[in-house]
Amino acid sequence: MASKTGSTPATYSPSPATHKKKRIPIADVDWVRPDSRGFYQCRPAYLRTGAVSPAAGSAYAEFGNTKVIVSVFGPRESKKAMMYSDTGRLNCDVSYTTFATPNRGKGSDKKELSSMLHKALEGAIILESFPKTCVDVFALVLESGGSDLPVVISCASLALADAGILLYDLVASVSVSCVGKNLVIDPVSEEESYSDGSLMITCMPSRNQVTQLIVDGEWSTPKIHDAMKLCLGACSKLGEVMRSCLKDVVTDLKE
Amino acid sequence: MVGLSVGEKNFIKGGIAQDLRNDGRKRLTYRPIYVETGVIPQANGSARVKLGETDVIASVKAELGKPRVSHPDQGKVYIYVECSPTAEPSFERRGGDELSTELSTALERSLLGGKSGAGAGINPASLLIKEGKVCWDLYVDCLVISSDGNLLDALGAAIKAALSNTGIPRVQVREAASSDEQADVDVSDEEFLQFDTSGVPVIVTLTKVGRHYIVDATSEEESLMSSAVSISVNRHGMICGLTKRGGAGLDPSVILDMISVAKHVSEQLLNKLDSEIEAAERANEGEP
Repeated sequence: MASKTGSTPATYSPSPATHKKKRIPIADVDWVRPDSRGFYQCRPAYLRTGAVSPAAGSAYAEFGNTKVIVSVFGPRESKKAMMYSDTGRLNCDVSYTTFATPNRGKGSDKKELSSMLHKALEGAIILESFPKTCVDVFALVLESGGSDLPVVISCASLALADAGILLYDLVASVSVSCVGKNLVIDPVSEEESYSDGSLMITCMPSRNQVTQLIVDGEWSTPKIHDAMKLCLGACSKLGEVMRSCLKDVVTDLKE
Repeated sequence: MVGLSVGEKNFIKGGIAQDLRNDGRKRLTYRPIYVETGVIPQANGSARVKLGETDVIASVKAELGKPRVSHPDQGKVYIYVECSPTAEPSFERRGGDELSTELSTALERSLLGGKSGAGAGINPASLLIKEGKVCWDLYVDCLVISSDGNLLDALGAAIKAALSNTGIPRVQVREAASSDEQADVDVSDEEFLQFDTSGVPVIVTLTKVGRHYIVDATSEEESLMSSAVSISVNRHGMICGLTKRGGAGLDPSVILDMISVAKHVSEQLLNKLDSEIEAAERANEGEP
């Protein structure tokens, strides 16, 4: 047993000042991103379906430090729906675990993220294919490493595909942050916290249709043009990665 | 919401295609805006805006608070929208929650800028009293009294008017004995500082009906929309926030076109709104 000296030793707690307090000199063009990516380079994506077996469909996504698991239940009877409706209903819920953020969070669900996820997915689902019933999408952010909502949206559409819900197209989502004069794609939480503006696009790559677009901060029109073009390019690449993930599952089953 | 027969829907859609809406407006014309400031005496600033039949009240209250650890040189602004059941019976209790959250988030996005506080309509650094210790917390509370479409634009205008009516009390900081203690502040009852609202943006919602966009949709027109984009533009023509509402997908070129239309419309709206706010303030001062 290790002997303890005199007074009770203080328990170790990570110093909150491990990340830089001062603003990085953003005007410096040679500024390197924390994970040494290029400005226009997304994080490598790890996507797997079938993570949760009791669910109709599920997916797990890991984009750098952002880890999200989404499970889809349905189409099933909805307790909330009182009225007959000849289109199906979509119910989304996004929540964070208490250990997702560096400071312990309350783990409560975020209503704004749930409604944003709902809007992003509702344009892609063929709601007429499941009248009178409801599809529940539950997203859980296990670790929040920046760009949470885009990862949740992409992972949710993969889970919906895994559940066999009829979709017009997969939904891919990417966000871009404006840090000083530079556009930085797929920001991490550090970059997000000192961003001067952010733009998040959710699109259906094969149809070239934007289902959701959220911009905050100050932007000039040419900048928005550039950011949108950048994001749409990244979305189509992400769409291909998602498609190959789904195909891999089928080829594995065949073997 | 509004129940429309197929015939009525076709009538409205056909009219919009010919640049003629139900109330005689053109596609890019706003309804008459009526602004009244100083409607809530206990608040630091308040305004009531009527856009046709849509009626909203915004009130601004400033309270002393502590800045966030991550941003010690900035004050805090909270925006909250409540949809009153007087507007729609479905808003009673929890019914209006979803719409309230959507509107509050969209307004916060338009007015508070990026995470670092850059590009904000309300400059949070101007709310600071003593770095790291004391700052102003601005609570902007909005109430929707009557809803006839285009709530977001009306709320944006009401907040702009309320902020130009806001007076923040002058504060004198008495040095604390030790730097850890709460700094003592002397809040003056007499002197007030007016808020600078030249940077506050205005929100323009473009609703896509069929192949055309309309500005300032009534609730009938909104029930026909395939999607809507709300763009917040400030005096310098910079886009301060953008939210796409409605589920249908939009082609990216359509969105870029909507942005340029919104910029064009926002100039007229800004000028109209500024003159209305000035007139309302003068009417206020005229009263004894």
